[in-house]
Amino acid sequence: MSKILVADDSKVMRQIVVRTLRQAGYGGHDIVEAENGRDCLEKALAEKPDLILSDWNMPEMNGIDCLAALRGSGSTIPFGFVTSEGSEDMRARAKSTGAVFLIAKPFTAETFQEHLAGLI
Amino acid sequence: MTLAPELTDVHAIVEQVWSSFLGDEEPLLPAYDADTAFPAENAWSSAVSIHGGWTGTVTIELSKNLAFSLTRLMMAMDESEPLDDAEVADAVGELVNMVGGNIKSLMPGPSALTLPVVAAGRAAHSSDLREVSRFDARWSGEPVRVSVHSPS
Repeated sequence: MSKILVADDSKVMRQIVVRTLRQAGYGGHDIVEAENGRDCLEKALAEKPDLILSDWNMPEMNGIDCLAALRGSGSTIPFGFVTSEGSEDMRARAKSTGAVFLIAKPFTAETFQEHLAGLI
Repeated sequence: MTLAPELTDVHAIVEQVWSSFLGDEEPLLPAYDADTAFPAENAWSSAVSIHGGWTGTVTIELSKNLAFSLTRLMMAMDESEPLDDAEVADAVGELVNMVGGNIKSLMPGPSALTLPVVAAGRAAHSSDLREVSRFDARWSGEPVRVSVHSPS
């Protein structure tokens, strides 16, 4: 069974992301949750998920630093941002660091389907 | 002149966040006559600040009833389940995070968005900021106010 790691410092938002994954047709996957970038990095290395969905702005370690550390470790796990900010400079930074997409909140199940298709 | 997000943009962002996460069953009704101080009793508030290409603070003030109702909706909980303050703070903070993040994307960048600050009570503002945009609305009869403040 495939595994998806969901990182967000908001428990409410993690629940919404998991619910949206289910609505988008990804309910059959194992879900692992992380509450900040450091937690996400540790769980990504330990659990080896098939996909990571991460917030950008988090305490302890933000999402972009988590992604950079992950890529620095040699990991190629597909990594997408689900964040409240979708400015052009952030999208460019996300892409150049190795993210496959950036979904700006608010989002719908259709948005998830559009970005996750073919990844998992 | 202070650069400020257009009220129509603030309105559209709030509507989009609201309908995405709270559904369309109960509409968010603009309250254009609400030219008064937000009722302080039983209010909750949350704020994020933006620093960089544009500087400002985005706040959401809402009634306690509304704060609890939207938390239950966002967490898919029913009325009988108890809520604690941390859950309400999480939900109200995430609302302002989304609204503030989208406002940041409209303004000149690059800039940084702070983590949300949430209070049981009205929002406080630094004395060097003035209100540049405000959207008042009601949801299920309960008041909510989204304000944008920027240095004068």
